[in-house]
Amino acid sequence: MENECELVRMCIEAACESRESVDTWRRQRRSLERLPSHLADALLRRLHRRRLLFPALLEVFKYSVEVIDLRNENSVNEEWMAYIGAFRYLRSLNVSTCRRINNSALWALTGMTSLMELDLSRCTKVTDAGVKHLLSISTLQRLHISETGLTANGVALLSSLTNLSVLDLGGLPVTDQALSSLQVLTKLQYLDLWGTKISNKGATILQGFPKLSFLNLAWTNVTNVPYMSSLECLNLSNCSINDLLLEGDVGYKAPLAKLQFSGSTFVKEEETFLNIETSFLIYLDVSNSSLNRFCFLAHMESLEHLDLSSCMMGDDSVELVACIGAKLRDLNLSKTRVSSAGVGILAGHVPNLENLSLSLTAIDDVAISYISMMPSLRVIDLSKNNIKGLIQQVDTATNSLTALQSLRYLERLNLEQTQVRDAALRPLSNFQNLRHISLRSASLTDISLYQMSSLSILTNISIRDAVLTNLALDLFRPPATLKVLDLRGCWLLTEDVISLFCKRHPHIEVRHEFAHVFPVQNSCNGPSPSGISSRTSPLNKKPWKMPVSQSFVDQRLKYSKEDLLVLRYSPLSLAYPHDAEIVRTELQ
Amino acid sequence: MKKEDTVKLISAEGFEFVIDKEAAMVSQTIRNMLTSPGSFAETQHGEVTFPEISTTILEKICQYFYWSLQYARGKETEFHIEPELTLELMMAANYLHT
Repeated sequence: MENECELVRMCIEAACESRESVDTWRRQRRSLERLPSHLADALLRRLHRRRLLFPALLEVFKYSVEVIDLRNENSVNEEWMAYIGAFRYLRSLNVSTCRRINNSALWALTGMTSLMELDLSRCTKVTDAGVKHLLSISTLQRLHISETGLTANGVALLSSLTNLSVLDLGGLPVTDQALSSLQVLTKLQYLDLWGTKISNKGATILQGFPKLSFLNLAWTNVTNVPYMSSLECLNLSNCSINDLLLEGDVGYKAPLAKLQFSGSTFVKEEETFLNIETSFLIYLDVSNSSLNRFCFLAHMESLEHLDLSSCMMGDDSVELVACIGAKLRDLNLSKTRVSSAGVGILAGHVPNLENLSLSLTAIDDVAISYISMMPSLRVIDLSKNNIKGLIQQVDTATNSLTALQSLRYLERLNLEQTQVRDAALRPLSNFQNLRHISLRSASLTDISLYQMSSLSILTNISIRDAVLTNLALDLFRPPATLKVLDLRGCWLLTEDVISLFCKRHPHIEVRHEFAHVFPVQNSCNGPSPSGISSRTSPLNKKPWKMPVSQSFVDQRLKYSKEDLLVLRYSPLSLAYPHDAEIVRTELQ
Repeated sequence: MKKEDTVKLISAEGFEFVIDKEAAMVSQTIRNMLTSPGSFAETQHGEVTFPEISTTILEKICQYFYWSLQYARGKETEFHIEPELTLELMMAANYLHT
């Protein structure tokens, strides 16, 4: 939509240019009330991204906005919620990981009449008392309250929200008893119960949800999953699995589309899969599981995504994957015992494979010629194995990477931590569709960097831990499309050269221990975009070594001087001991 | 300029803007009106009335049409939008699929 309407996009951009431009239009009440919701939503999103949004400004969107997404925003508190609660047509509100949201902030939402979707995930201050405020929103259909402070009693209260079709209770202490009180929610289609206290007894209750199609029971003590006729997606990662979906009516099995058994242990490996209807299965993740034999793959002809990483998979079982390879698009074989011979078995049987991972396997350069026979490949991960890029013949060495030239769609190539050296990378200059290249080795030098110049549509270059010199970076002509240049660990480069490069190419994000000024695409005067600037903070001299969380930002950067002056006297600043002191001295 | 090559866009207040058909076609909505076969009065007279769009905004829209054509031909200039016009212009652009 936004792509089609260029002028609309330009208007939104102009409206969010600066605080001053916001002030010119925010009094145009009549226009604001007439604003179609998709435009109002887009304008609000843009304001938020530009960090121009503050509680009182929300008021102008009261009659137009339908969707608000403020996730990860630390400043969102009761004041924000008071404005949001007055939104007449709000359909969806996402305040996940807004750490300051508490029970009294939720009070503002009481009685909202159009709210259908609410995400409170990881709002740790929300407890059972907060849930009571939500019970009056009878229109709620999708509720996410994972990892909040709810107890089993609070969960049981949700039974009065009878329109719920999506309920995410992940990480809450949901007991069998609490689950049974939710049985009245017969419209439930999606139920997330990872990490809850549900036992096998509770799992039998799940049969009572007639429309349930998505179920997540990862990290629970459930070992037996009962039969559910409409189930399509099931996640039992990190569970110990005994009986799975034993059918109720003879002859009919649920048409499963997605199964996740990552890190699971199977008590009765072979029987388990016999009981499942697998011919419709599109997605299977058995990474890290205890599986030893892979005969169950035989009937999964519809499979598009298969994750076998960290499994006991070896060359002897690859044949089974090859047999069902026709539709495969993603195949992860990293950390398996598959060798070049195994890759050879796959070649020719996976015409649609787009994404292949062979990281941490025993493959060598012979595998590359087999990989070149998989015509649809877009993404190849060959990191952390013994590939040299050269095949030594009697008296000459040939470049094995040359074979990959036949892959017309190849976009990403990962050769990090392999034995590849400069000379072996020469064929890369012919990979004209390559967008991402990742290299990491102490034996790479300037020559490798030069070779990247000729790849015309590269967007990401990563050459880590290489012996790059200042001169090389100085002379480097990056492709016009380049967005990210990752040079972390290139210890020979000096601060001057990196800052000079940044200055010369302001649109390229340079990652290096010395690079602290990153291009901020949406630069604005005053407040800084905190989300992106976590790495750009001038305080982080060595950002990669400091234990700084992603969302960290110096709070002072987020506000202009005027804001700070206003904040000084707001009652909230009492929460900070330092400010409290100032107030106290003033009171005296 | 031949009459067939131009269109007349009329604002809410009755102001008339005569512009090249090619420029007006930047708007998907106007393009549909002018090219759809049959009964649209607009097709016959080459006139389109916009009772919802004020003169100021329609003028800006016309400027944008010509800027857009130039931009497509490789002349990279900036199209400035005054902040006080953004809301109304946004709505008009949305209606005109521009």
